[in-house]
Amino acid sequence: MSSKTTSQDLFHDKKTGFFIYLFVEAIMFSTLFATYIIYTPPQVGPHPSELFELKTTILASIFLLSSSGTLLIAEKGLNDRNMKLIMAGIGLTFLLGAAFMYFELDEFRKFIMEGHVISTNNFLSSYYVLVGLHASHVTFGLGWMIVLFIQGKVLPFNLFKEKHKIFNYYWHFVDIIWVIILLVVYAPYLM
Amino acid sequence: MEFTFNGNLIIIPSDVIAGWISAIIALPIALYWITKKYYWPLVWDYATSTNHRKVGTLYILFSMLFFFRAGVDALLMRTQLISPENQFWVFQGEKFNELFTTHGTMMIFFVATPILIGLMNVAVPLQIGANDLAFPFLNLIGFYLFLTGGTIFFLAFFFNAAPNMGWTAYAPLSTDSFTVGPNNNFYIFGLQVSGLGTIFAAINMMATIIRLRAPGLKLTRMPLFPWATLITSFLILIAFPVLAIALLLLQFDRLYGATFFLGELGHPVYWQHLFWIFGHPEVYIIALPAFGIFSDIISNFSRKNVFGYTSMVAALALIGLLGLMVWAHHMFTVGLGPFSDTFFAVASMLIAIPTGIKVFNWLFTMRRGVISIKAPMLFALGFIPTFVMGGVTGVMLSSAAADMQFHDSYFVVAHFHYVIVGSTILASFAAIYYWYPIMTGMKLDDKLGKWHFWLFLIGFHMTFFLQHLAGLNGMPRRVYDYTYDDGIWAYNFISSIGAYLMGFSMLFFLWNIVKTHRKNKQVENDPWNGRTLEWSIPSPPPEHPFEKMPIIERRDMFWWAKINNKQIPTTENHRATPISTPTIQPMFLSAGLFILSFGFIYGWLWMQILGGIMSLGTFIIRAFNDERKSVYEKEERENE
Repeated sequence: MSSKTTSQDLFHDKKTGFFIYLFVEAIMFSTLFATYIIYTPPQVGPHPSELFELKTTILASIFLLSSSGTLLIAEKGLNDRNMKLIMAGIGLTFLLGAAFMYFELDEFRKFIMEGHVISTNNFLSSYYVLVGLHASHVTFGLGWMIVLFIQGKVLPFNLFKEKHKIFNYYWHFVDIIWVIILLVVYAPYLM
Repeated sequence: MEFTFNGNLIIIPSDVIAGWISAIIALPIALYWITKKYYWPLVWDYATSTNHRKVGTLYILFSMLFFFRAGVDALLMRTQLISPENQFWVFQGEKFNELFTTHGTMMIFFVATPILIGLMNVAVPLQIGANDLAFPFLNLIGFYLFLTGGTIFFLAFFFNAAPNMGWTAYAPLSTDSFTVGPNNNFYIFGLQVSGLGTIFAAINMMATIIRLRAPGLKLTRMPLFPWATLITSFLILIAFPVLAIALLLLQFDRLYGATFFLGELGHPVYWQHLFWIFGHPEVYIIALPAFGIFSDIISNFSRKNVFGYTSMVAALALIGLLGLMVWAHHMFTVGLGPFSDTFFAVASMLIAIPTGIKVFNWLFTMRRGVISIKAPMLFALGFIPTFVMGGVTGVMLSSAAADMQFHDSYFVVAHFHYVIVGSTILASFAAIYYWYPIMTGMKLDDKLGKWHFWLFLIGFHMTFFLQHLAGLNGMPRRVYDYTYDDGIWAYNFISSIGAYLMGFSMLFFLWNIVKTHRKNKQVENDPWNGRTLEWSIPSPPPEHPFEKMPIIERRDMFWWAKINNKQIPTTENHRATPISTPTIQPMFLSAGLFILSFGFIYGWLWMQILGGIMSLGTFIIRAFNDERKSVYEKEERENE
């Protein structure tokens, strides 16, 4: 076995496996989208158009979607083996993701304070489960980025690169899910 | 038994006490035996090894253990039903509900699915000339998730909290308004954890088959068991995520006051849709690998290549595709309307066509073959008529109008036991006899295997053939009692005797294993005079058997090389082998998930947090303990 190709072969294996995993995630999210569509708008209780706010939604989206852009900086650094660029990219992405989470949690907090909780009606239940699952994906991604920061210092570069790339796929996927959430969950009730 | 504890009256049924006593007696004996025989290093080796053969063996071992547990459930049910107005032990009413729920759930989730995954683990990499699965670490994780989920579900009985709503968990019965207490939380978390493991296994299989085939082994040259594995993995990737979300929604209903499946706002039928979008493909998830196993075995023991290879693959794919489209044929009596019923009836009937193609191809494979009837082949021969009978009643059931009559009767029970036992269970036995040399380097005794087969098959038909008739005479499923006037006594009586016979046949299987290991006689290479690549290497194979990868130029390359007295050409310069090292991280993760699940089942927040931290902690440990680190470091040094 020529050792020169080991990391490439194994990276391609991992990439294949991870894309299949993202397919699994996609099926999970589509089931939740179906649930949301079935139960929204609700027969009783608060209507989504009373709850969603244009400002919060747009701000949250700007932060999350631009974080996919800043991740491209890190990807560029990855190809040039430029550690500073990589760390700057991850750092920016982390901040933008954290800002998104701030708005997300603020929205949850506001709803709960107003008494719109998970048991209020099925629209809210499916909203919390769907958007909540996405939010936990973002939170997991934030934790992952902290791990990446440290990994950049302790792992051999090729292994770090591999792990970083896998994270990139994850983060872009989470962003795509958010776009669909925007279209399915928020957009119909904001106009 | 009743006693007071902390001022509360606690009632424990005598069967639970019997369970505890037998566990308390059996566990120290088992530990003593392992210690006395110096088996601990062996246990530790298997518990931490990520090698596909060892992980696969563990899958098979534990699913067989669960098989015995779920089988005992079945025998208890048959004992309660052996005569009219019977009052056997405590198994009436709620206890009987627990029996049929645990029997069904265990057999599907903790026996049929994992035993096939175990067999894939053992055989698929070797059949495609790969040294291991693509992700050895993930493979062991998958096994531990299955074991953890199974253990959670298994333990419910010991806390007198066995799930009791039927294996389909139909809402609204499964919501906390109708089944209070922790019982059905055990179902949710047992399935959730093990289902995740199944998804990981499917990802692993798929990536392995796509990426790790030996040079020249095109998909069109691949043996049929890997083909079945590939299509099964695809079905798992669609079915199991839907189940995961369905369970998540049910969990929110039960624990957090949501009403997805309940009350005026929720739709109980939505549960049925989600469940059967998972549940129907699940039938094919456990049937297609069985077809693959039988194709390989029948071809091997007939000394002929598979008849109509291309149509066999096409049939597998078509069955898989149609299997995804027919979930609502479980719901004809729900009232979805004539259009929907017609569509799903027709689509269901279509499945008979590719299945028929497969059956005829198996028969044509044997035609003019040199058939040697060894235990694995015997199971394959028993499978064909049994499965055809299950298929015929399947066509009967798929007719929506007739299904209105058959629905929820013993006719349905008989049908799916013919299908599932006929395919999955017979295939698993066949495959265990067939691949035992790969797993252990020993061959099971053929004569005892034949005893096992004949007693099992006779017992099986005695049990389930008569259940068709009991069903047609109006016996509903899930009941624990009937009267003299119902006219179904004879059917039930013979059915129970048949069930005991099946149970008895399993003793031959156990004795066979004990006897083989006592003798400890290692087999020579290629003990069955095989056709596929797994027999071109020593049995049991070393950890990386294909150091030089074989170059495959045709179907059944190994057989062709044998009869033409040629060597299979090999290459030095091939793709990298997945790196595997022993690891205890999966144990840590499963401990975390175990604690987490019990936290949710009993609603203890501190336990949920502890388990959550432990489980997430595994990710961090893993992030800095990658087994590939040293290899990549070495590679970087060499390339500079």
